[in-house]
Amino acid sequence: MTLRERALQELQRQPMRSAGMVAQTAQLLDQHGLPQPRDEYWRNANLRAFEQVTQFLPPAHSSAVTSLPAPLPGFQRLVFVDGRRAAQLSDAAALQLLADPAAWPAPADDQGYRDDQRFALLNALFGSDGAQLQLRQDAAVELLFIASGAAGSSYPRLAVQLADGVQARLVERHLGAPAAGGFICTQTRVELQRNARLDHYRLQDCDASALWMDTLFARLDAHAHYDVRLLGVGAATARCSAEVVLSGAQAELTWRSMAALDARQVGDTLLRVRHEAPGTRTSQLFRGIAVGQARIGFDADVRVSAAAAGTRVSQSLRGLIEGAESGINLRPRLTIHTDDIQASHGATTGQLDENLLFYLLSRGLDVATARALLKWAFLGDVLSAIEIPELRREAERAAAGHLSDQLLDGALS
Amino acid sequence: MSNPGTEPLLKIDDLHVSVGGQQVLRGLTLAVNAGEVHAIMGPNGSGKSTLAHVLAGRPGYQITRGSVRYQGSDLLALPPEERARAGVFLGFQYPVEIPGVNNAYLLKTALNAQRRQRDLPDIDAFDFLALVRERMKLMQIDESFLARGVNEGFSGGEKKRNEILQMLILEPRLALLDETDSGLDIDALKVVARGVNSLRSPERAIVLVTHYQRLLDHIVPDQVHVLVRGRMVRSGDRSLALELEKRGYDWVLEQAVA
Repeated sequence: MTLRERALQELQRQPMRSAGMVAQTAQLLDQHGLPQPRDEYWRNANLRAFEQVTQFLPPAHSSAVTSLPAPLPGFQRLVFVDGRRAAQLSDAAALQLLADPAAWPAPADDQGYRDDQRFALLNALFGSDGAQLQLRQDAAVELLFIASGAAGSSYPRLAVQLADGVQARLVERHLGAPAAGGFICTQTRVELQRNARLDHYRLQDCDASALWMDTLFARLDAHAHYDVRLLGVGAATARCSAEVVLSGAQAELTWRSMAALDARQVGDTLLRVRHEAPGTRTSQLFRGIAVGQARIGFDADVRVSAAAAGTRVSQSLRGLIEGAESGINLRPRLTIHTDDIQASHGATTGQLDENLLFYLLSRGLDVATARALLKWAFLGDVLSAIEIPELRREAERAAAGHLSDQLLDGALS
Repeated sequence: MSNPGTEPLLKIDDLHVSVGGQQVLRGLTLAVNAGEVHAIMGPNGSGKSTLAHVLAGRPGYQITRGSVRYQGSDLLALPPEERARAGVFLGFQYPVEIPGVNNAYLLKTALNAQRRQRDLPDIDAFDFLALVRERMKLMQIDESFLARGVNEGFSGGEKKRNEILQMLILEPRLALLDETDSGLDIDALKVVARGVNSLRSPERAIVLVTHYQRLLDHIVPDQVHVLVRGRMVRSGDRSLALELEKRGYDWVLEQAVA
């Protein structure tokens, strides 16, 4: 039985969405299928883990969530447990921002559900709630997506639309553990209208047993700026498939992400960026550290259309390997259809620089501290970009845990 | 480290070192007493920097014969971090850049590593800042450098001054300064020399590795040694450096061959 058949069979057992919606989504699944390991941008992904999913349906009842991270000062909080809003854990005012779950649009055959975004179809089939934010004024919102551990899978979803000129800060955290055989399948859609700016912090620190499949689709209008900081440290298998379309002139994407993985964790990201208008900008930065037998992949695929004269692209991808059995695969790709472009890219993977290590040892630092400090410095480009101190602290703590390192307070410049 | 007694602070005997199968030091012998400043000069490739790095414990060198005693104990038996905590400091010819790690953090961590070695508590944050500010003033380094990455984007002269700043904070017993004067203009050279001279004391020794005499106009050595092909071929007082300046190294090389 195919995954699609299994999924639809489960849906028939416990109908969650309208028959029309299911039929429409199933048709898309038939049309496009789900990604396969041989697919160009899925070679780094651990799709075998996906075959272990035993229940696609979300839990009938979530387990109680007993502890949450401290609220971030100045942010309104929204909490979702197993993909469903938890009103009692959320700020009442923040709940007012949410649209009716029934208003979530059915998946259409556009770029948000095709190609490498196809896991979003599963989210569309099984998700029943989500954070749909249409912001017409500046806001700071914190979203916690918690997997409670109850039997079943979790379908966090987020749709953000910023009106003209709106500036927003959004912190999105994925925490917790699905039950054995369950998985976390997220869908995020971002639409920035003219001159809007979104600072989007995404922290994935799920339990080490989790399978996290993430799909992000964003479209930027003229002069909009989307600033993404993605920190992935959790889950046994994590995959982020992101596609950003710069459809308006002077639209800008700043993407900074890091992965710090250990043991047998597998984490990979596909970031596709399409420049479709003049004067658009992309800056991509990735830092990954693989410890033990961990494997990290990062595909950066930037396409610049003939209409995107004056585009600027920079890509800086770096990996650090700690352990003979760990691996990192970085692939920057740039396809250009205009002569008027400035582009730079670099991708390097290696081990800790022995010259730097000796320098620190020659100052009396012990080996463990010196190594930790250098790894810290390696991640510094991303960690330092977290401008919310409480969140930065949390991200540093999470990264230190996976690097088996002490937390080095105040080390970063 | 044992009590040195009457033994020199640093005693090198018949040291043979090779790198990648190539012999670099071939029976080097040297004794440095506390309170002294020694200058080691020599042509390119003579082994000056190798000596400094071997003493600091850099990996990659094979010590095939000889011994190095520091404060009466076997220095070569210690890993680099323990040598540093025991008071050995290497000022690098080419200080590395470590983007992301701020200067203040490195200085404080290094200082506390040494204090713990001496069973002292970690330095109070206020005291540390006061100490660093005072030493930065001496080295004419702007305080904004504290928050910057270690040597990140520093000019050559700034890097060298930062090395001396680290030395002034750590107050080593044995300072090995590897071509600290290279790449410095005359004003920066004076600043660096002032920093080094401020550290001179009866308990401390300084070994200057240098190519040129001009540094010794500002840091007057007690002894000057000429290293040629991995061996000390001549030692003397400051006048030896002046003679080298005037005549070059050829005559020493000829004598060494003879």
